[in-house]
Amino acid sequence: MRPEVRLIPRLDIKAPNLVKGIHLEGLRVMGDPQEFATRYYEQGADELLYIDIVASLYGRNNLRDIVSRTARNVFIPITVGGGIRSVDDVTELLRAGADKVAINTAATKRPELIREVARRFGSQCMVLSIEAKQVAPGKWEVYTDNGREKTGLDVREWLQRGVELGAGEVLLTSVDQEGTRKGFDMALVREMAKLVDVPVIASGGMGTLEHLEEVIAGGADAVAMADVLHYNRLSLSDMRDRIQSKRELAVS
Amino acid sequence: MTYKISAPQAVDYGQFSPDAVTSQTKYGLPQEVKFCKSCVISNQRPNSAVEYKHTKESKKATIHFDDKGICDACKVARQKHQVIDWTEREAHLRELCDRHRSKDGSYDCIVPGSGGKDSFYAAHMLRYQYGMNPLTVTWAPHIYTDWGWKNFQAWIHAGFDNFLHTPNGRVHRLLTRLAVDQLFHPFQAFMFGQKSLAPKMALLHQIPLVFYGENEAEYGNPIADTDTAKRDWSYFTADDKSKVFLGGTSVEELLSDYGLSKADLEPYMPADPEQIERQNVEVHYLGYYLKWHPQSCYYYSVEHGGFQASPERTPGTYSKYNSIDDRIDDFHYHTTFIKFGIGRATYDAAQEIRSGDITRPEGEALVKRFDGEFPVRFAEEIFRYLSIPASEFPQASRHFEQPIMDRAYYDLLTDTFRSPHLWQYRDGQWELRHTVWQESATAGPSRETACAS
Repeated sequence: MRPEVRLIPRLDIKAPNLVKGIHLEGLRVMGDPQEFATRYYEQGADELLYIDIVASLYGRNNLRDIVSRTARNVFIPITVGGGIRSVDDVTELLRAGADKVAINTAATKRPELIREVARRFGSQCMVLSIEAKQVAPGKWEVYTDNGREKTGLDVREWLQRGVELGAGEVLLTSVDQEGTRKGFDMALVREMAKLVDVPVIASGGMGTLEHLEEVIAGGADAVAMADVLHYNRLSLSDMRDRIQSKRELAVS
Repeated sequence: MTYKISAPQAVDYGQFSPDAVTSQTKYGLPQEVKFCKSCVISNQRPNSAVEYKHTKESKKATIHFDDKGICDACKVARQKHQVIDWTEREAHLRELCDRHRSKDGSYDCIVPGSGGKDSFYAAHMLRYQYGMNPLTVTWAPHIYTDWGWKNFQAWIHAGFDNFLHTPNGRVHRLLTRLAVDQLFHPFQAFMFGQKSLAPKMALLHQIPLVFYGENEAEYGNPIADTDTAKRDWSYFTADDKSKVFLGGTSVEELLSDYGLSKADLEPYMPADPEQIERQNVEVHYLGYYLKWHPQSCYYYSVEHGGFQASPERTPGTYSKYNSIDDRIDDFHYHTTFIKFGIGRATYDAAQEIRSGDITRPEGEALVKRFDGEFPVRFAEEIFRYLSIPASEFPQASRHFEQPIMDRAYYDLLTDTFRSPHLWQYRDGQWELRHTVWQESATAGPSRETACAS
């Protein structure tokens, strides 16, 4: 198993709270996002992912202050998403301490935004966030607004286009699996990881260490997780140990 | 020729002009429009009505606001969170279950529902937490959504027997069409069964204990209703069946003019109160005993039965986990928006504010964005469902000036149900005269409602 796989706690935010849903729905308040972020940093997370989960719904973005406070104590890359509509929005978030931005809804409405962000700040800063919902075997549709709105876009085509436009990384969330703890949508991860050369962060569905192994073997370069960490079902050190033991097994 | 059901005509726009004097209100609604200071519901929200008495002339009783501008539903929510001793209530539930629990594994209670999150939770808790042997009963939706059917199956496969009563499609369509034309109430035919099937099944199977989920008082019915665990009989019984109206039409007329038989109407008729009394049928709200939280029911049903939210946002609102099994549901909320100025986002946001899941400013934003959205997704199918062609309804169709429903017909009909005190017609557009977000904007910044849960 590849040791370089990044483990990324995902913090879905509905200001001022960390929240968690199932299928990105029925958001439950978990607590102060900063406390969770600090804990995950101390436990050895590789990066953090902050998503303002209702930004598009309410037409707002409230993450700047939370990111700014977190960046004072947390010294790992922070990716921020939710409600980002312009290069100015990106500038503001980077100034607040974000290292990368994840864009979904606004990019589907105006794909050129991907190019603008990549040109201005570099591809490594531009994470294309895709909320994918299976609509037929082997076929997924792009959703926006936190899994609420259909777009009619095919995930495969949109992913390729996004990468062509300059996205340097992809956050791939399965709406069907999200919050269920039933494992990742492996067909989705395998297919999309094969399709593009940029790193793919798999998100949605992790419930066990076996799910982690499976998704890494399936081609994910990084794994975003929320439920298992927020509810203390697994720890980051459990995951590191599993990855390490698998690697040693593979080497020996 | 005079038809019993005339095709709708264009309304007189004069009464809807922005500066018109609007002293007339429809349905007995209060003339002054107010919004609850705590949630986003307006004082135009009708209480649950006895549908058997519902005719064109019916006047609505509406939600009560106190002198501080707080609605009864918010007060019920406050009682739930701050006053009620839930440990004591749960002990009462255990006593009730102990009194009725069967010794031989036979059914000892009835749980009506669709397999949505709330009925899933109710049946599952009663069976697995309280050791009951529930029989579940379902009055089918008009037209199942794909995900509604899957969730219904998931419910059964979580360990329940179920009687699914699917009413005669043609009778159901006719009664629904009548209810739409006369009452603008596409959900009424469903509600007859929703309210009376379980008590009638209790009589039939001699299982005297019935559990519904939440009390309607959680949404604004008189607060006194929460003092009892039992459901008011008037919702599901009637002493005199000759005074029963279905689709705003008397039973007599349905039999004589619309080609229906007594058997056709049997599923819609209320239970006999004397029989209910003789067999000691008790209809309880589980929400009286257990602190009800719709969002938690969603979590519970996902975790224990694989319940699935719908794949997309429901038109007219922001959510995808609530009331998602019937394709006509979208239209139900569209009609409440027209008649009362209250669409689905208002209902959903008001409930979530009371539960502490969103704040009032968030609720206002959601209402502004989604309330009253026309439900395009199933529209063509619903219009076909509401059409009464002569080939399928040889007798009934003769009484409709225009038996076929289409978008143009629906739009004209819509306008006839707008009350001038709620609606104005300006620059070729319909607009509500009063909205919660405009009121809040003029009243200054809304306060953030504290999380109550």
